[in-house]
Amino acid sequence: MKLARHLSTAAALMLATIGTAYAQAPAWKPTGQVSVVVHTGPGGGTDAFSRAIIAALDKDKILQNNYVVINKTGGGSTSAVNYLQEKAGDTNTIAIFSSVWVTDSLVQAEAKTTIKDLTPIANLLLEPGLFVVRADSPYKTLKDFTDAAKASPGKLKQSGGSVTARDAVIRHVLMANTKADWSYISFPSGGERVAALLGGHVDIMMIEPSEAGELVRAGRLRAVAQVADARIKGFPDVPTLKEAGFDVPNVPQARGIVGPPNMPPEAVAYYEDLFRRASKSPGYVKYFDDTQLEDHFLGSKELAAFLNEYSDNLRGILSGAGVKMAR
Amino acid sequence: MDAIFGLAHGFSVALEPQNLLWCVVGCFLGTVIGILPGLGPAATIAMLLPLTFNMDPTGGIIMLAGIYYGAKYGGSTTSILLNMPGEASSVVSCIDGYQMAKQGRGGAALGIAAIASFVAGTIGIVILTLLAPPLSEFALRFSSPEFFALMVVGLALVVLLAGNSMLKALLALLVGLWLTSIGTDLFTSQSRFTFGLSDFVGGIEFMVIAVGVYAIAEVMMSVDAREKAELLPVPRGFRNYLPSMEELKACRFAFLNGSIVGFFIGMLPGAASSVSAFVSYGIEKAVSKRPEMFGKGAPEGLAAPEGANNADSSGAMLPLLTFGIPAGGSTAILLSALILWGYRPGPLLIVESPDLFWGLVASMYIGNVILLIMNLPLVPVFAQILRIPLGLLFPIILGVSVVGAYSVSGNMFDIGLLAAFGLIGYVMAKLDFPTAPLVLGFVLGDSMERALRQSLNMSQGDPSILVDRPIAAVLLGVALLILISPLLGRLRAFRHKTAIAE
Repeated sequence: MKLARHLSTAAALMLATIGTAYAQAPAWKPTGQVSVVVHTGPGGGTDAFSRAIIAALDKDKILQNNYVVINKTGGGSTSAVNYLQEKAGDTNTIAIFSSVWVTDSLVQAEAKTTIKDLTPIANLLLEPGLFVVRADSPYKTLKDFTDAAKASPGKLKQSGGSVTARDAVIRHVLMANTKADWSYISFPSGGERVAALLGGHVDIMMIEPSEAGELVRAGRLRAVAQVADARIKGFPDVPTLKEAGFDVPNVPQARGIVGPPNMPPEAVAYYEDLFRRASKSPGYVKYFDDTQLEDHFLGSKELAAFLNEYSDNLRGILSGAGVKMAR
Repeated sequence: MDAIFGLAHGFSVALEPQNLLWCVVGCFLGTVIGILPGLGPAATIAMLLPLTFNMDPTGGIIMLAGIYYGAKYGGSTTSILLNMPGEASSVVSCIDGYQMAKQGRGGAALGIAAIASFVAGTIGIVILTLLAPPLSEFALRFSSPEFFALMVVGLALVVLLAGNSMLKALLALLVGLWLTSIGTDLFTSQSRFTFGLSDFVGGIEFMVIAVGVYAIAEVMMSVDAREKAELLPVPRGFRNYLPSMEELKACRFAFLNGSIVGFFIGMLPGAASSVSAFVSYGIEKAVSKRPEMFGKGAPEGLAAPEGANNADSSGAMLPLLTFGIPAGGSTAILLSALILWGYRPGPLLIVESPDLFWGLVASMYIGNVILLIMNLPLVPVFAQILRIPLGLLFPIILGVSVVGAYSVSGNMFDIGLLAAFGLIGYVMAKLDFPTAPLVLGFVLGDSMERALRQSLNMSQGDPSILVDRPIAAVLLGVALLILISPLLGRLRAFRHKTAIAE
C-alpha cells in the first residue's frame, strides 16, 4: 500500500513536471485528427459556419491537422455537451458553442453537464440582429411599432424561435422598457419565420443580416433597427436600438470555441493561439464580411468571465419573462 | 415567354460538358446515399461542400442539387426489397412496395418507383419553370392555420390506413402522437415525457422509429417464422424486371397525384417530404376504385408516394430560388453554398444571375433523365439482393440499420431505441396492429400541435381563425370528405348488393 502511494505520488510529481514543461514550451501540438463538435445537423447555423471556417483556414494554411465536423444533435445543445463530457480531458476534441448552450444549461433540468463545466478556449464573434417589417408596413421605425403595440396590447405579432431564443429575450427587454405588449409566435426554422412575415401573418421579426439583405434590397422588407453595439457595414442607415431611443441592455449572441471538461492547459493554449491567428487570416475575415458577422475575439480567461456574466444576465431576463429556470 | 427563353439559355449552360459531368456525378452520388439509411442528402451535401469551393459555382450547385433529388430515387430501393426505408421520404413506399416484392414483383416495383420518380420529378420542374413567381406569392398565403388544416387532412388518412380494426389503428395513431410530443416544447422550453433522461430532451429521431418498426420488426417476424421463411422470389427474365402495362395503367392517376401533392407540400417551408408522401398515398387510396388492394401490393400505392417525394424536391427549390428561404435541411445547405460562392439568393436572383437560375432548372430536367437511365438498368442488379441467403441477409439488414440509426444523430442511445422500436413493431405485428398509423401520427403530430398553438397565438385564443381563412376552410372540407369516405364506400357496396339482389 505504502509503496503504491509513494509510487503514485512520484508519478503525479513527474506528470506535473511534464505538464509544466509542456505549458512553458508552446511546441505542444495535437497529433492526428481533431474533432469539431457542433450541436446542429448538417446545414444548420453552427454546422454551416464551422465547415466554412475550417475550409477557409485550411486554404490559408492555418490548420496543421485534419479538422472534422461531428454533428451531435438533439435537445438543443444537450447531446453535444454530453458528448464533450464523455471526452473529458481529451486534447483532440473542440466544440463550437453558441448562445443556446448557455440558455439550455439554464432551463434544462435533465442536463447533467452544462457549459460551465466545459473548458473555455476562445470567443470568435457576436451575431448582430436586425428588426425588419414588411416594406408596405405602416411602421417606419421601431418606435412606430412599439407605440402601436402599446395602443392595442397583444394585437401585433412577432415571429421568432423558441421562447429562450435571443429574439424572445430582446422582445422582453423592449416590452419592459416601453410598457408595450405584443405576441410572440414561435417557429422552429428561420425559413418559416420569414415566410410568416412576408405573407403578412405577423408584423415584425428579428433576423440575421445575411438572411435579410436580399429581401431588403429587393424591396420586400424594411429594416427598422439593428441589435448591435455599432452599426454594421451592410446596413449603415439603420439605427441601433440605442440610437433609435431604446435604452436597453445589450443582449449579445456569441459564438466561439470550447473544449471538453478538464482539457490540459497546454492544449487550451494551443487552440487559443490557433484561433487568435485564425481570426486575422484573409479567408476568415472575408467570410465574416460576406455573412456580416461581428468579429469579437476573446481569449480563454475573458471568455470564462463573459460566459458567467452572460449567463447571469439571461437568468434575470428569462425568469422575469416567466420562463422556468432549472438552475 | 420569358420562361421559355430562360430555359433555352439554361439548357445551353447545363449542357456544357463539365456541367453535364457534374450533373451525372451528383445524380450518381444521390442514388447511392439514398439507398443507405442514415446517410441522407443533407449530410452528404454538407460534407462535399468544401470540395466545391474551387469549382465553378454553376457546376457546383448542379452537382449538389443532383445529390438532393437523386437521393429520392435511391431511397425506395431498400424500402421495396428489404422493408427498410433508405430515407425518411421513402417510409411510405414500404407499405405497398415490399408487398409487391413478396409477390415476386420486386423488379416491377423498382421500375415503377423509378418511373414515378421521373414523371413526377419532371412535372414538378415544369411547374417550377412556368409558375415560379406567382406560386411563390401563393405559398406565402399559407401560414399556421392552413398548416393545421393540412395536418388534419393528413391525420384523417388514418381511417384509410386502418386495416382490419379501426380501434387498433386509432390506438397506434395515439401512440405515434404521444411519441412525437417527447422532447422540448418550443413554446415554453419545458421538456415533456423525458423521464429525466437528457437523451430524450431533443425528441426521438424519425428514422429510428421508421427503421425499427419496419426493418427490424420484419427481420424478427421472419426469424420467428423460420420454419416457413423463404427467400423472396427473385424476378426472372427481362419481362419481370419491368412493370407490366396493366401496372403502369393503374398508376396513371398516381403519377399526377404525386406530382401535384408533392410539389405543393414541398414548396411550404417546414413541411417534411414524408408528409407529402403520406398525403399522396392517402389521396390515392381515397379515390381508388380498389382501395382494398392497398397494403397488399398495389402498384399505385407505391407510385403515388414515390412520385410525391420527387416532386417535393422541385417544390422545395421554389422558395429557395425566389426568396432565398430554405424549405428544409438540404435546401438550407444549398442556400449557404450559394452565399459562399458569392451569389445573392433572394427575389433578385432570377434577374441578376440568370445563368445560375436557369442553368440549375435546366439541369434538373437533364438530371431526371439521367436518373431514369441510371436506375432502370440497375433494377436487375439490385434485385439480386434477394438471392442472398437469409442467414447472411438478416445480419446485414440489422447491421445497416444500426449504423444508419447511429449516423443520424451520432448518439449511442438511438441504437437502444432502435431495438426497442423493433420490438414494438414485432409485438404490434403479432397482435395485428397496423404500424402505418403510428408512423403517421409521429410524422404529423408535432407539426400539427405547433400549427394549432401558433394559430391560437396569432388570434389571441380565438379558434375561429382555424376556419375563417379560405385555404384552411377548403382543406378542412377535404379532411371531412376523407373521414366519411369509408362510409361512402360501404354505402356504395350496399347499393351494389341491393341492386344485384333486385
